[in-house]
Amino acid sequence: MIYKTALATSVMILSAGLAQAEESYRIGITQNNVGVDSYQTTYESAFEAAADKHGNVDVVVLDAGGDVARQIGQVRNLIQQRVDAIIIWPTNGQAVIPAIRQAHKAGIPVVVTNSKIAEAGLDYIAAFSGPDNVQQGASSAEMMCEALDGEGQIVQIAGQPGYTTAMERSKGFEDKLAEACPGVELVETQPADWNREKAQRVMENFLTKYDDIDGVYAGDDNMGVGALNAAKSAGRADEIVFIGATNFAVGYEAIERGEYYGSIYQSPVDDAEAALQTALDVLAGEEVPKMNFFETPKITADNLAEFDKPVF
Amino acid sequence: MASVEQGKQAIMLNKKYKAGLLNFLSAQGILVFFLICMFAFSLFSEQFLSQSNIMTVVRQASIIGIIAVGVTVVIIGGNLDLSVGSMLSFSTVLVVDLHDKIGPAGAIILMFVLTLLIGAVNGFLIGFMRLNSLIVTLAMLSAIQGLVLIYSGGKNVDIANQSDTWFAFFGRGYVLGIAVPVILFALLAIIVQVVMSYTSYGRRIFAVGGNPAAAVYSGIRKNWCVFSTYLISAFCVACAALVLGSRVMGSQNNVGQGYELLVLAGIILGGTSLLGGAGSVWKTIIGVLILGFIQNGLLLLGYPYYTQWLVTWVIIILAVWLDLANKRKRLFTTHS
Amino acid sequence: MINMKDFLKGSGFIQPIWVFVIAITVFFSFMSEYFLSVGNLSNILVQTSTIGLIALGMTYVMINGNIDLSVGAVLGLAASLSVGLQDYGITIAVIAALASGLVLGAINGLIVWKTGVNAFIVTLGAMIGVRGLIFVYTEEQSFYATNFAFSDFGAASIGPFPVLAIIFLVCTLVMHLVLKKTGHGRNTFAVGGNPEAALDAGIRIGRHMMINFIIVGFFAALAGVLLATQMGAATPNLGRDYELWTITAVVLGGTKLTGGYGSITGTLGGVLAIGILRNGMNLMQVPAFYVLVILGAILISVLIIDQRLNVHASKGVSI
Repeated sequence: MIYKTALATSVMILSAGLAQAEESYRIGITQNNVGVDSYQTTYESAFEAAADKHGNVDVVVLDAGGDVARQIGQVRNLIQQRVDAIIIWPTNGQAVIPAIRQAHKAGIPVVVTNSKIAEAGLDYIAAFSGPDNVQQGASSAEMMCEALDGEGQIVQIAGQPGYTTAMERSKGFEDKLAEACPGVELVETQPADWNREKAQRVMENFLTKYDDIDGVYAGDDNMGVGALNAAKSAGRADEIVFIGATNFAVGYEAIERGEYYGSIYQSPVDDAEAALQTALDVLAGEEVPKMNFFETPKITADNLAEFDKPVF
Repeated sequence: MASVEQGKQAIMLNKKYKAGLLNFLSAQGILVFFLICMFAFSLFSEQFLSQSNIMTVVRQASIIGIIAVGVTVVIIGGNLDLSVGSMLSFSTVLVVDLHDKIGPAGAIILMFVLTLLIGAVNGFLIGFMRLNSLIVTLAMLSAIQGLVLIYSGGKNVDIANQSDTWFAFFGRGYVLGIAVPVILFALLAIIVQVVMSYTSYGRRIFAVGGNPAAAVYSGIRKNWCVFSTYLISAFCVACAALVLGSRVMGSQNNVGQGYELLVLAGIILGGTSLLGGAGSVWKTIIGVLILGFIQNGLLLLGYPYYTQWLVTWVIIILAVWLDLANKRKRLFTTHS
Repeated sequence: MINMKDFLKGSGFIQPIWVFVIAITVFFSFMSEYFLSVGNLSNILVQTSTIGLIALGMTYVMINGNIDLSVGAVLGLAASLSVGLQDYGITIAVIAALASGLVLGAINGLIVWKTGVNAFIVTLGAMIGVRGLIFVYTEEQSFYATNFAFSDFGAASIGPFPVLAIIFLVCTLVMHLVLKKTGHGRNTFAVGGNPEAALDAGIRIGRHMMINFIIVGFFAALAGVLLATQMGAATPNLGRDYELWTITAVVLGGTKLTGGYGSITGTLGGVLAIGILRNGMNLMQVPAFYVLVILGAILISVLIIDQRLNVHASKGVSI
């Protein structure tokens, strides 16, 4: 079904591209790794929905499957197809820069979405649109400090090693914690690759190793809930404060139940719509600021009611 | 006189016993290696040999272990199964997603049926069509991952009400103080080991894996034997999915990614040859536990993840090498 | 009498995988107007050159009866070194990167030779361990080439032909000739086909194995360096899963996993088949989830077709 629709759309896009090149924009997007988690999947459908709403936008939606080399190939293909603008969700903040530079040289504006690229590449992009992951890490550190009254020892469960989002959140968290909360000691960090089951395993080992854990910071709620699961089975959930990032539905519910202290609210729908809007503004010739961060507020039991439960 | 005879007999018995022990130890080279590793870790970390830590490691290893039991049978039959990673994702996503839609019993039954069906496809292509198992299961690895994503639309699945469903039993339950995953692992391992060692079915699988041509001449229906090993492998994956889904009460679409290689590493560490016709479930259990304890030990010592990878590199090769050297009574090969 | 199967099996005429390559080329050129453009075709060549270069070495190792699972990690390490060491000059960085491939290949080969441990295990260990080396060296950071000459090389072309594609095709030709015309090539077949017989014939099987591991290590490193020039950067996770796609391409090209049989021309076909499928489905906007299923299904179909042709041609001969 979807396959057929895709065929039909591609044929339509081709003919549309020929017939009404003046009125309609073709925007290509290459995403990081759809399907690896719900955030990215929701982002993709929100992006397609947003494009549908604007009558004059055709989108070419691609997915790099987490592979930098494939993403660079996709950017090349999009340049080859002469799309009007390229939106890229970088699989890596550094490696994609030369490809972006090529698009720039070919006169195609590039909008970077969701996760930042290194400073050296900023000259070649029209704009960035997305959350501020360093800031998110810092916000989580503030929550941790608040929840522990400035004292205790904590562990960190990080995202997949080598990925920008994981590194930025860790860095933001560690720097802010050291600066604002010297009484809280981060005793160990281990990666769990954004995977709940792996986070559960890592936490089980932490629980064996440390008799005293006051808090856990997880790179996203999916892993945070894994850690919570482990602590619950060990009967030690009550003594530990859990703080995550990218609020997932499971995290939202855990906050509701009072088992989870807090997280960062980040909507993939906002993220996708902001990216498309930024690209359209650029194409319309408007002045667009280079860095466009959308709001990613802290979410705890106190302000839970202000937010809708995430759909992912 | 009599007492002297008795004394001689006792000495001989003692000698026999000693030789037997040595033979046993050299036959179990991997086991000795395992015990040395355990000892080394316990020197540096006091929690390592604590009862709670050992139970944790065995429980964590049981998911890989359950799958490894099935894959061991496939390997003894002379083939490989690399599709188990995607299959695990498939089965876990399926059982978790269906849990809230049709209830736990229906979800489990349907999951088992569909997982066995995938196993049957593997078995048909490899057993009856006689295609190369490595490439077929590699292709299935990709195709099944695609199916999972299409089924779930790429979204995580969760069980809404975690606290009151009997589904929690499989991953979180305890019977007589032993975790259910461990019991399942042990049960499956014992049953499969008994079947492989003491039944004519088991002998046929060994024959097919060891010398396919001879097996066919002796009237063994090779196609059906190979086919059946993939059903066993799929059944084990379904059991592992039950534990995984219940333990996490949710699933990502790529939850099984990389399990195929971990499972293989465990099997190989245990000393089962990839050539087929040899191996045992008992060895596989040891291999899987070695991997589990090494990971856990390095984590307890506080090494960063990449150090764990480096040590795994050395240990995998060292373990298999020493086992091999022990069997040929020589450290290095002689050919140039 | 010429029948279709004989033609396809064709004693040296045309390999089945090439029939498949031609078929999908025709199919996609009807499905997408961009497909046959010069730009797209050279894109395909550049994109397949990475897996393609590794596959050249892998063909040797597999004909030899071994396998190398560590190529993805070796590629990642070489890429990181070639960018990370550029403070000492691009030449030194590239030499160091290629040397790392040679050394790791030699280590793999030496272990397989001297310990007699199965290559699958040795390189499975290396696959995990070498990835560890990358993280030790890079400390989880990605590297970015500040010197754009490096990435300009990756994007350069001579006339309409991209430099990377030319390098790939030249290497393919050289490796084809080495396999067909040299003693090392013949011995590689002999060792893979029947190690005991090769040993009896006085072939130094250990040495040939080691040379082949060094070759595949070198090509993995070369692919890593060229991939880094394409990106002007390197990431520690580069090359994950590449070993599986490389092996798939080589087997699609007709090389037997059991050793003793295979060809570089077949491998080239296998690599192109995967590259064209990916590119074509991209152009047709097949959703990513379906691409996985279709790739899997096609792999199995090619295997079935290949087997039907082989069974016909070699009836009664068991391999």
